[in-house]
Amino acid sequence: MKIMWSQGAHPPGARPGGSHWIYNPFVLLVLRLVLAAVFIYAAVHKIGRPLAFADEIHAYGVVDYGPPLYVMAIVLPWLELLCGLSLVTGVFIRGSALVLLGLNAMFLAVIAKKTAGFMHIGTPFMKIYFDCGCGFGAAFAWKKLLEDALYLVIAAVLLAAPLHRFAIQFRRRSS
Amino acid sequence: MKILKSALLQAIVILAAALVVGFTFNALSRNGINPLKTPAKVPVAADSTQAGAEGIKIATLDEARQAVESGVPVIDARRKADYDDGHIPKAMLLDYYDMGMYKDQVLARLSSDQTIMVYCSELSCDDSELLAKELYSLGFTKLLVFKGGFAEWSAAGLPVERSAR
Repeated sequence: MKIMWSQGAHPPGARPGGSHWIYNPFVLLVLRLVLAAVFIYAAVHKIGRPLAFADEIHAYGVVDYGPPLYVMAIVLPWLELLCGLSLVTGVFIRGSALVLLGLNAMFLAVIAKKTAGFMHIGTPFMKIYFDCGCGFGAAFAWKKLLEDALYLVIAAVLLAAPLHRFAIQFRRRSS
Repeated sequence: MKILKSALLQAIVILAAALVVGFTFNALSRNGINPLKTPAKVPVAADSTQAGAEGIKIATLDEARQAVESGVPVIDARRKADYDDGHIPKAMLLDYYDMGMYKDQVLARLSSDQTIMVYCSELSCDDSELLAKELYSLGFTKLLVFKGGFAEWSAAGLPVERSAR
C-alpha cells in the first residue's frame, strides 16, 4: 500500500488528466472531503438506532414495515459511513461516488414526493418544513432539495473525474 | 466505459462491506433488531377507554392526570435535557432515541401486568407512540399514550418536577 501523490488512481484506459477546472486535483480533493464530511456526520447520527431510523424511513410511505425496511435501516447508515471513509482515504473513490449518486437520487425522489404531498394539502412550497430522517433534524424542504441536488452533482463529478490524486492505492508488486 | 465498470465493481464491494459490517454491528448492539421478525401487531385505539385494558390507548389530559394520581408509572420519551428542564412528577426518563442507555434501568422498575403511561413533548411528536409500540413488543401490553405531552401538562398548571443540577 502506498499513498499516491503524483500519480492518480485512475483505472487502466482512463484519460490521464482532465482539462476542465473542476477536475483540478485540489478541487476534487475538496469536493471529496465535503461529501465525506456530510455523509459521515449523517451516518453517525443513525448508527445504533435502527428501530427509530426504520420509523423515519417508513414515514415516507414508500416502504412498508417488513424485512426490506429493517435491512435498509441496519445497512444504510453503514453504507454512508463506508462511502465517507472511502472518499477521505481515496480507496474506491469511484465506487463510493457511484453509491452516493444512487443514494442521493433516491433521497431526492422521496423528499420530492413528501414535499409534493405537503403542497397537495395547500402548504406553500417555501414553508414546507419536516425532518427528512437524514440525520440532521428538521429542515426546510427547499433547502434539503437544493442540498441533495448539490451532493448529487458532486458525486457525479467524482465519478466522472479522469484522475484522482491524494488517494491511498493498493498496487500489486510488479516483479 | 471502463471507468463505469470499475466503479460498479467497487460499488458492489462497498455494498457488500456495508451489509457485513451493518449486520455484525446490529447483532452485537444493544439496540439491535431482528429484521426478519414481523413487529407485533399493536392494537391502537383512537378513542381512549379506561386504563388497565390491553393495547395502546390514547389518554386525554384528564385521564393522564388521573393515571398519575393513581400511581401509574410514567415514562418520559424525550431527551435528557428536556427531561431535566421539567417533567411530570415521578416520570422516568427513557429517551426513545437512546433506548440502550436507559432501557434496562427503566424496565427493571416496571412489571408487564401494570398499566404504563408514556408521553413526549407535545401533540405533534410521535416518540411517545413509537416508544409505546416498542414497549408493547417487549411484553408491556397495557399502555397509555398521553398525546398532549409535557406541553399540555405544564400549560394546564399541573405540578412539574425538575431534576436537581
